[in-house]
Amino acid sequence: MGIELDCRGMECPAPVLQVRNALEKDASDTITILVDNEAARQNVSRFLEYQNYRVDSERCGSDYRVAGTRGEGVGTPETAASVPVIGERQVGNKKIMVLITSVHMGHGDDSLGDMLMFNYIKTLKEMRPYLWRVMFVNSGVSFTAEGSEAVPVLQELASAGVGIFACGACLAYFHILDKIQVGQVTNMLEIVTSMQHADSVVTV
Amino acid sequence: MISTINNIRLTQTVKGAGCAAKLAPGDLDRALCGLDLPVDDNLLVGLEQADDAGVYKISDDLALVQTIDFFPPMVDDPYAFGQIAAANALSDIYAMGGIPKTAMNVVAFPAKTMDISILRLIIEGGLNKMREAGVVLVGGHTVEDSELKYGLSVTGFIHPDRILTKRCLLAGDCLVLTKPVGTGIISTAIKAGLAGQAIIDTVTRNMATLNRDAASIMLGFTVHACTDITGFGFLGHLAEMVVYSGCGVRIKAANVPLYPESLEWAAMGLIPAGTYNNRSFRGAFVDFDMNVSQKVQDLLFDPQTSGGLLIAVAAREADMLVAALHANGVESAAIVGEVVAEPAERIIVE
Repeated sequence: MGIELDCRGMECPAPVLQVRNALEKDASDTITILVDNEAARQNVSRFLEYQNYRVDSERCGSDYRVAGTRGEGVGTPETAASVPVIGERQVGNKKIMVLITSVHMGHGDDSLGDMLMFNYIKTLKEMRPYLWRVMFVNSGVSFTAEGSEAVPVLQELASAGVGIFACGACLAYFHILDKIQVGQVTNMLEIVTSMQHADSVVTV
Repeated sequence: MISTINNIRLTQTVKGAGCAAKLAPGDLDRALCGLDLPVDDNLLVGLEQADDAGVYKISDDLALVQTIDFFPPMVDDPYAFGQIAAANALSDIYAMGGIPKTAMNVVAFPAKTMDISILRLIIEGGLNKMREAGVVLVGGHTVEDSELKYGLSVTGFIHPDRILTKRCLLAGDCLVLTKPVGTGIISTAIKAGLAGQAIIDTVTRNMATLNRDAASIMLGFTVHACTDITGFGFLGHLAEMVVYSGCGVRIKAANVPLYPESLEWAAMGLIPAGTYNNRSFRGAFVDFDMNVSQKVQDLLFDPQTSGGLLIAVAAREADMLVAALHANGVESAAIVGEVVAEPAERIIVE
């Protein structure tokens, strides 16, 4: 049996939360939601698509009926069953922060270290969905700046919702403050509070 | 920081959050269109050429610049709400190139359901920003209402020949934005209880940051037009500049500073109704390249509370302006696009 929800009379974000709660209790393959405003219609549709449902919506008088289906035959990705119902970042409350402090990985040979670090950054995506923030300090900030081959890799992480941060004082020190290509300029306060809020901090 | 008093979460007590609660822009135009307004030659900027603030000339070298802004809470912390509401109201003066001097509190307070100590904290937050801005509080007005609202009416000084309006874009100018976008979506996530403390702290700090430093740095450069990004969203306010100036703009979506967290919440549908209102009102002016994802498009229409300044600066000075902004703590400032002669009155986002 599918879920049916009446979310009329609700302002955003309440309809999305109702749908989320309903799907957390029962990950049904079909769900129908009644809403009475355009913003709620679009938000509920977006949420269902985010959860890999195929969405149809239609007008019913002054209301809208939004229907979501998933499962066999509706083109749902195979991984759908394991996709967490809420944003990945909230699942299990596990948030990993990675602090990159240098252009080299480890000590010994610096050109080997360069290669290893770039490879590490390329492989970081495997840490998702738990990868929360990547913060760059000292010479590490150059990965976020013009001319670094890590820029597209980090852009991909950023568009997947991972926070990319580069220390502003470090960028200024290396005279590349205006060359930053990806992520946000940050400060020590944010680095410290991020460490506090992360469940684990990996320093490289 | 005190996040709750008597377990009241301010954002749970109101329908809309912050500037996302603004009346839909099309509705406002319908209400004002065709009204017979009093005429005065000294009114340099008034309702007919709607700008960030009104300007009234007193003498050849002095004009008053006036604005008012108030809204429901977008964060749960009363003191932070006061700071943000004050920073947001003061911003209109800075966006015109003026210096704020006096302010009056505007308060709607649900005294039957909320402890009066909450109002005290809100006003303390407002005063904190007034002090930082060098503004004196001259009075205020408080009404009882079912929903909490707070803001300021602000008066400042400006030289009548140095007013920065939205309408003087020049083809070739670069557009610089000074704060990240996404506060409307993040406020919605806060209301939904999904935002973690780290992003709440970051966005609260940014919304409470005065546009004073950005404005004073900007005044040292060849700036042709300026506005501040608030309830109509980045593209909504940009559309006003485009329509009033007759120029077109090209925006590089990837260069627009935004809160990375807001992307995922946009994808989840945690989008304030104001975003959709802004899009339906101004969407017709905007051509999105296919590479610009739906969630980024949503963010560019997202109503901002106490957003950054959007500055049209002579191209040859754009890099210097951004470097000066970065060096003075306006860390998110970035060149987000350029003004073009053709296509006129279009916004191309690529």
